[in-house]
Amino acid sequence: MNIDPVKALDDKIERLKKELKSLETRIDHAQTEAAHDQLSQTNQLKDNTRKLTRTDDRVTELAESVHRLERLLVALNRKVRAGETQKADFDDWPEVAEPLIAKILAGQEAYARRTFTPQEAKDTRKAIAEYDRKALEAIDAAEALTHLPPNAEALWRKNYKQWQAVTAQERPEAPDDDTYAKDTVAKSAGNEAIARTRRLIRARIEDAVARDLLFPAWFENMLGPAAPPGKADDWLYTATDVVLYRLLHGVTSPADALGPAPSEEGHRKTLHDRLTGECADYRKP
Amino acid sequence: MAADPFARLADRQQSLRTALRALKAAGPGSPDFQTLLTTTNAEVDAVMAARKDVEAARLTVPNRAIAAGTTAAALVVAVGWFDAWSLLSLLLAVATAASVLVDPTGRGVWEPRARTTAICAALAATLLTPVASGWAALVTVAGIAWWAWRTLR
Repeated sequence: MNIDPVKALDDKIERLKKELKSLETRIDHAQTEAAHDQLSQTNQLKDNTRKLTRTDDRVTELAESVHRLERLLVALNRKVRAGETQKADFDDWPEVAEPLIAKILAGQEAYARRTFTPQEAKDTRKAIAEYDRKALEAIDAAEALTHLPPNAEALWRKNYKQWQAVTAQERPEAPDDDTYAKDTVAKSAGNEAIARTRRLIRARIEDAVARDLLFPAWFENMLGPAAPPGKADDWLYTATDVVLYRLLHGVTSPADALGPAPSEEGHRKTLHDRLTGECADYRKP
Repeated sequence: MAADPFARLADRQQSLRTALRALKAAGPGSPDFQTLLTTTNAEVDAVMAARKDVEAARLTVPNRAIAAGTTAAALVVAVGWFDAWSLLSLLLAVATAASVLVDPTGRGVWEPRARTTAICAALAATLLTPVASGWAALVTVAGIAWWAWRTLR
């Protein structure tokens, strides 16, 4: 310990100066490090940008080559079609006879037709009986109009009203007793015919797949060149329905599988919409 | 076609009878019942129109006469029992009488007799005016309402 206070103060100043110096050094150091970090980050960014540009160029190149390949494939496809390769025929179906199709259509019609339940039939019959009674009354009233004196206005009015009661309404359609039974028969026959036709069509499509035959243009347009992996059964089911749709509704376009969409609601429109949706799924890459 | 309304009505009734015979023979269940019903309905309408013509021929003169009487009575009452409040009833009655004078039978099937009722109500209201003053207008209004209900319904 120094006895001289000035000396002691000097010492303290010296110490403080030293500490200050060391602090300055540290700050300098830290600054340098930060600058260094920034520089390296900038460099990295530049590097990445360069890489990205390169990748972009590469992708453009690849897309071009894919496009070239696609065109090549189209040309190849055309050549193959023009060549001797065997083609699958899904347009002529001698084994699906005209009566079979008629049965299917009759079945669909029967499904679409609104059938009378027994209760409804009973109510309708009651309404018809009521109408008939009213009609007879109205005829009697009109008959009265043919011999009433012209100044008996109250009677004219009453009879005229009675007559108008029947002209205002129509006689309900009589329920056909046979309709229900006939429809049931038509439905089951239609179901049977559809199952048979479907079996025939599916067999031919499976045969074409097995023998690697070329599909018709409309078929490939709609369902793609082949069944998507893992979905062969669904694909075959839809393909069968597409062919069946063409067969049932007489679509013969070589390019458009389903033809124009039907405008009226019903069985055909439902099927058309379903097939369009399903086939779009199969064509997805 | 007969020019006389009575003969024409008889004529129409005869053809309606024929149409009805066909309709009856067909019966409600037959397929052409609806068409027959439509033709018969046309015949019925023709009969109604013919009857209206008969009524019109019968009621034209009485309606006009009552209307003229109403107008005259209204004048007499207006002068003899003058009262501002009574004028309402009188004016309404005169207006009704004027419209009946112009067109005594109207066009609707039930209109000739409805017009008779209306003009009778107007006459009654006019005769009641010295007693009931303005309130007699209610009788005319009731007559007009009756006419409207019969004709426009």
